[in-house]
Amino acid sequence: MKTKYLNFKAMMKRTTVFLCVAFLSLVVVQSCADRLELQPEDERLVGDAAFEDPAAYEEFLGKLYAGISLSGQEGPAGSPDLAGLDEGFSNYLRLYWKMQELTTDEAIIGWNDGTIQDLHNQVWTSGNEFIRTMYSRIMYQVALCNEYLRQTTDGKLDSRGVGADLRAEIQIYRAEARFLRALSYWHAMDLFANPPFVTEQDPIGAFLPPQIQRADLFAYIEAELLDIIDDMAQANADPVVYYGRADRAAAWMLLAKLYLNAEVYTGTARYADALTYVNNVIGAGYSIDTSIPYFHSFLADNSTNGAQSEVIFTIPFDGLRTQAFGGMTFMTHAPVGGTMNDVATSFFGINGGWFGIRTTPTFVELFPGEENSDDGRALIWTDGQNKDINTVSMFTDGYGLFKYRNVDVDGNQGSDTSGDHTDIDFPMFRLADAYLMYAEIVARGAGGDANTAATYVNMLRERAYGNTSGNISAGDITLDFVLDERGRELYWEAHRRTDLIRFNRFSDNGIWQWKGGVQPGTTTESFRDIMPIPETDLGLNTNLEQNPGY
Amino acid sequence: MKTFLNAVLICLIMIPAAMFAQTQVSGTVTDQADAMPLPGVNILIKGTSRGASTDFDGKFTIEVSQGETIVVSYVGYRTQEIIYAGQATIDVALVEDAAQLDEVVLIGYGSTTKQDATGVVEQVSAEEFNKGAIVAPQQLIAGKAAGVRVTPGGGAAGEGGEIRIRGGASLSASNAPLIVIDGLPIDQRGGAQGSRNALNAINPEDIKDFVVLKDASATAIYGSRASNGVILITTKKGRANQPLKLEYGLQVSTRRVANTVDVLNADQYRTIALANGVDPSELGDANTDWQDELFTTGVGAIHNITATKGYENFNFRINFNHASQEGPLQDLYERNGLNTSFEHRFLDNDLKLTLIAKVVRDEFDYENGRALGEAVRFNPTLPIRDENGAFTQYGPGAPLAPSNPLWSIANENFTSRQTIDRVISNFNIDYRFWFLPELKFNLNAGIDYAENEGFRFDRANPNNPDAFDTNEISSGLNRNTNLDFTFNYKKDIESINTKVDLMVGHAFQEFYIQSFVDRQSNITLVDTDINRNALESYFARASFDIADKYLVSAIIRTDGSSRFSEDNRWGTFPGLSVGWKIMNESWMEDSFFSNLKIRGGWGVTGQQEIGENYGFLGVYTPSRNDAANIQFGFVPGTEDPRFIQTIRPQGFDSNIKWEETTQYNAGIDFGFFNNRLTGTIDGYYRETDDLLSFVPVPAGANLTDLLLTNIGSVTSRGLEIALNGVIVQNDNFNWDSNFNITFQEQEITRLSLNDAAGFQQQVGGISGGVGNNIQLFKPGFDPTTFFVFRQVYDDQGNPIQGAYVDVNGDNQITEADRQPYKKATPDAFFGFTNSFSYKNLDLNFTFRGSVGNHVYNNNASDTGNLNSITNQPGYIANAHASFLDTNFSSQELFSDYYIERADFVRLDNISLGYTIPFDKITLRTSLTATNVFVITDYSGLDPEISNGIENSPYPRTRDIVLGLNLTF
Repeated sequence: MKTKYLNFKAMMKRTTVFLCVAFLSLVVVQSCADRLELQPEDERLVGDAAFEDPAAYEEFLGKLYAGISLSGQEGPAGSPDLAGLDEGFSNYLRLYWKMQELTTDEAIIGWNDGTIQDLHNQVWTSGNEFIRTMYSRIMYQVALCNEYLRQTTDGKLDSRGVGADLRAEIQIYRAEARFLRALSYWHAMDLFANPPFVTEQDPIGAFLPPQIQRADLFAYIEAELLDIIDDMAQANADPVVYYGRADRAAAWMLLAKLYLNAEVYTGTARYADALTYVNNVIGAGYSIDTSIPYFHSFLADNSTNGAQSEVIFTIPFDGLRTQAFGGMTFMTHAPVGGTMNDVATSFFGINGGWFGIRTTPTFVELFPGEENSDDGRALIWTDGQNKDINTVSMFTDGYGLFKYRNVDVDGNQGSDTSGDHTDIDFPMFRLADAYLMYAEIVARGAGGDANTAATYVNMLRERAYGNTSGNISAGDITLDFVLDERGRELYWEAHRRTDLIRFNRFSDNGIWQWKGGVQPGTTTESFRDIMPIPETDLGLNTNLEQNPGY
Repeated sequence: MKTFLNAVLICLIMIPAAMFAQTQVSGTVTDQADAMPLPGVNILIKGTSRGASTDFDGKFTIEVSQGETIVVSYVGYRTQEIIYAGQATIDVALVEDAAQLDEVVLIGYGSTTKQDATGVVEQVSAEEFNKGAIVAPQQLIAGKAAGVRVTPGGGAAGEGGEIRIRGGASLSASNAPLIVIDGLPIDQRGGAQGSRNALNAINPEDIKDFVVLKDASATAIYGSRASNGVILITTKKGRANQPLKLEYGLQVSTRRVANTVDVLNADQYRTIALANGVDPSELGDANTDWQDELFTTGVGAIHNITATKGYENFNFRINFNHASQEGPLQDLYERNGLNTSFEHRFLDNDLKLTLIAKVVRDEFDYENGRALGEAVRFNPTLPIRDENGAFTQYGPGAPLAPSNPLWSIANENFTSRQTIDRVISNFNIDYRFWFLPELKFNLNAGIDYAENEGFRFDRANPNNPDAFDTNEISSGLNRNTNLDFTFNYKKDIESINTKVDLMVGHAFQEFYIQSFVDRQSNITLVDTDINRNALESYFARASFDIADKYLVSAIIRTDGSSRFSEDNRWGTFPGLSVGWKIMNESWMEDSFFSNLKIRGGWGVTGQQEIGENYGFLGVYTPSRNDAANIQFGFVPGTEDPRFIQTIRPQGFDSNIKWEETTQYNAGIDFGFFNNRLTGTIDGYYRETDDLLSFVPVPAGANLTDLLLTNIGSVTSRGLEIALNGVIVQNDNFNWDSNFNITFQEQEITRLSLNDAAGFQQQVGGISGGVGNNIQLFKPGFDPTTFFVFRQVYDDQGNPIQGAYVDVNGDNQITEADRQPYKKATPDAFFGFTNSFSYKNLDLNFTFRGSVGNHVYNNNASDTGNLNSITNQPGYIANAHASFLDTNFSSQELFSDYYIERADFVRLDNISLGYTIPFDKITLRTSLTATNVFVITDYSGLDPEISNGIENSPYPRTRDIVLGLNLTF
């Protein structure tokens, strides 16, 4: 029975309700549309807003350098740059070291992580995840450098209204970014020969980069380095500003390395050009104090204890402020095990070893007298260790090397009192390397003076022996000598593989234990001088062709 | 004068009325099952407009004449008709309608009846829920609905479970269904932080039913969040005209771990260690079963107090619950909740206002998860405590060694507490326009707000004297606000014999999540993260019921999400379903079937739960803490390094867009024997395109190695069969049975930018070494396929270490010889429930199981070898007992020896209850056991692992529950 119509009050109520409903509907629909445009509200920044703070340019440059030492935005781990592999494993320096050292007579590792054993055995395939992640890491570093260059073009700086002083600074930053890109492309050329090629002219997205051939990449890197030399800070620049950064001498050194290996990369030897730049580096003011023992260069305070005077380009670490599970943390912990572990804290400055890396008898035999050599570079640990390696996974097979120690010259532990992370800075380019390059060029008959070479080598030897008893004469400088001396001086500094390939001793010549997967060692196929393009990238990027043999 | 004329009129009217000789008759209507009176039952005299309804005591009075038919009807019960032939009183006992075809069922922004539903809509009501001391709502429906696979979590206190409807439609985006509580869609990420199971905020006792929308023609109304299915949870509310009812429920439970990992015992260990060169001084004299020592018996109690009352225009329900549950690792869960619902009707039932408010406090005391792995590894010859009474440790010099598990879980060494306060509230306005009664307006304004706060103390590694303690404070805030309204027009147009149901609506929902962490150890991390995303939608539905036989329903929804750039922001999701109620056809009148309906549907749904809110923008992330700084030079005048933070540009895909899933479904509902036996069969085929996955990008092309981008396709198909039977139904004895089985198949059809054949992506991380994966995404295979070497065995059937099938014949065993092999997803899963009642006694049990699934026993592959004992850095540890069978000297992680069949049948719960009806009180007592036994070939901990990898999970428990329920 509906008698509502007769009730005026009720009708008013209903009309009001109806109007409210209609109004509400309209208002709600209206106010929603613009609430779909959202931006981050925490410390993350978008696009140009990120560069409002002028310090951003330096901080972004810092990321380019940190691309080698750190693995992400949270130390030691938590915000990884790469998601495809464990964060500690995806660290640039750790991967590069493994590529350059585990594949040679200088190091062997006992762990069972994935296909890591294939590296020393030289039986790797295109599915090897360490090779794949090194590849990803190198190309990621290139992409970061490209992005830096995109964000610092004149057009961008104009649109952001950047002042003249900062602009002058940014020109130097740009030169450093191009240097770092050249460095990574050099690593790519050395390891993979024919990587994909991207520059700041390419977009960011999911497109397919083209592949570049080794010789063309050589030409590109050469051109880049020659172009930036004048923009970089002067050689041996003031460490107060430039420690940890690349200056002109670093660019010279990289050019020298490029030319030294040119026969491997392009088929044409360029030793004369290498000599030019080696001489530039040697004349830049770096020095080796022969009264400072060799091992001081690899201690926690190697940025201030006097050994830093020979370092051209370093990758700094800090136990509290630059922490990663790769880098020097890895290089200090992994080779400690067996009886070394008993003095982990007192001698090595860490909380315990990771029982991983030892060396082969072939390397030990480089030193006359082996572990009893007077050569102070023979930092060989034999207590509880067997010289021969019968079981790879047994840490006590194979002598240890105690090169990297997180204590200062007085034996005090580094700044991280928990004993996890180290203060040791990694010397990527140092004067000793330049001296030996000079000697090599002489030995190859491509220029230079043999007596000068002998003087240089003897500086290294005087530092090593503590006196002149190990000195050599000009006539001792032969190719074999140079290779062996590079081993003795620069071991475990990520040079060995490149050196062995240049001297044709890496794959089808040269024998050390467990090379080829057999205990006494055997030669391997020559195509292994070049690493395979990872099969995942081949599957993704149809522009790429696999390297021969894989 | 006026009064006199009125009186004459009345007399005149009365005369014809008197001629009909109507009598007033009264009676009582009761429920046949429990003899309780039923209020609100409709009494109608057929062919007239005379009607009445029963009062609180089930009594009614009505005018009736000789020969007229009295129709007694009530939702959920079979309608009865009584011809009046002069009875003094009419007492009616109504019987429940087994098939409940008239029962109203929700379908998302509306409702329909079971018989009129054309999409795949399944309802699981409170009587059908699993029994036990359940605190997590997911576990109520495990094994109850075809196509819905609920994998309960381990035995931790307050643990929930994973729900997958038809297998989930995605690879890297979320596979969780959308959950809607009383009309408020909950954030698919959970809705609260810090909780082991965010859905615990809903008291299981409070839930009236779950409605599962499975196919796209039903879920498309939820558009962009509907690809994985939708679950509509309705909580209990009061009813009009109900007397005050008070209820108290108590459940007391104990729980013990059902199984532990098989490791070597002390004697076996000692023998093997000594035979393999272990220094005898490292072995102790004890015989410790670490897992046994670690697990305790947990006790729990759940209290529920509920009050409901209904007046004419107003009814309410208030429930207070307190639950506390202890886990076997001394973890603890406590919930205190207040659930209220109020309904008020105004303006002669034209306007109905409903307010639902739930306020809950969840408190978790988490266990130290490391203890599980430590108990499996710790040297069994060491005693629990050393001679000084302190916990035995491996000691300094072995910083990588495990800690003593009992030390790890002790409160003074590890405490992690989280308190989550949550309010879920929904205000609903339902208004029927007075000038057009078929038009209704409905408005939902809801808020889901949660705040959590917690702290964690983690004592430094006891094997490293220089290590630091960790102190962490964390807090968070989640806010989900929803506003939607619909206009609904329902009319029965007799001229064309069609019932029309039209609906249009608009919804806007915004999610805001903030989290803060302050972690102090040897390094510090202080960080705040804020994430906001919003969704706006327009939707409409039109349903037609022609001649009560032919059903057509069409829906469309368009959604805009803030997660995508403007070019890709909006998506449109249509759905269409048809049905034919064959049993209403005239030629079906006397057929064998009592119910027969066939349905078909098609729909397109979307997925936008991609895990990133700003993925299409180029974002810069600064260093999150001081330990990610880099040295640039020195501080002038000192030897101190100068540190700067760094900023990193994130990889992004500016073209990222929705995943789109297209689904086809065909089904048949049938019933026999007067609906004593009913069932449904549904078949579906589903295709997801523009699949969001974390795939490798070509190196150098982007600022990352793995990018979330739209990259592939997945198809799945399945068959669901559900049978319900009321096998016996008489006065004393009732027997109901339900069986459901689902067959399913899933396949990745495309996975890369360029369709390169043979492209695959390794997934499924395992422990043992670093960065190893055991599963594979590969086109042509199920997403949970394993990727292993094929083990070679000797004549006695023992595996030969390192000997695998050389698949490519190159005389080398390399990754090229790894093969896709078996999968973790089952071929079929089923549930079987039986309920018996005999007089006042009732018995209920549920079986659950699956066939065709496999599990990779990572516990065995990681530690089932000699290296696990003898070759650890600075310490010796225990090995998995599989070592006794394999004799492996080192890890063989990728051998298919470790992939085991995990078919199983589990008696999930069995419950015995006794009801005693007193005068004013009803008392029910019950005894329930859960996870009673599992029948399986799997040798590991438990065959039911959703991702197929067993890696020291929290073991499931066996619970015994004593229940008491008082109703006043």
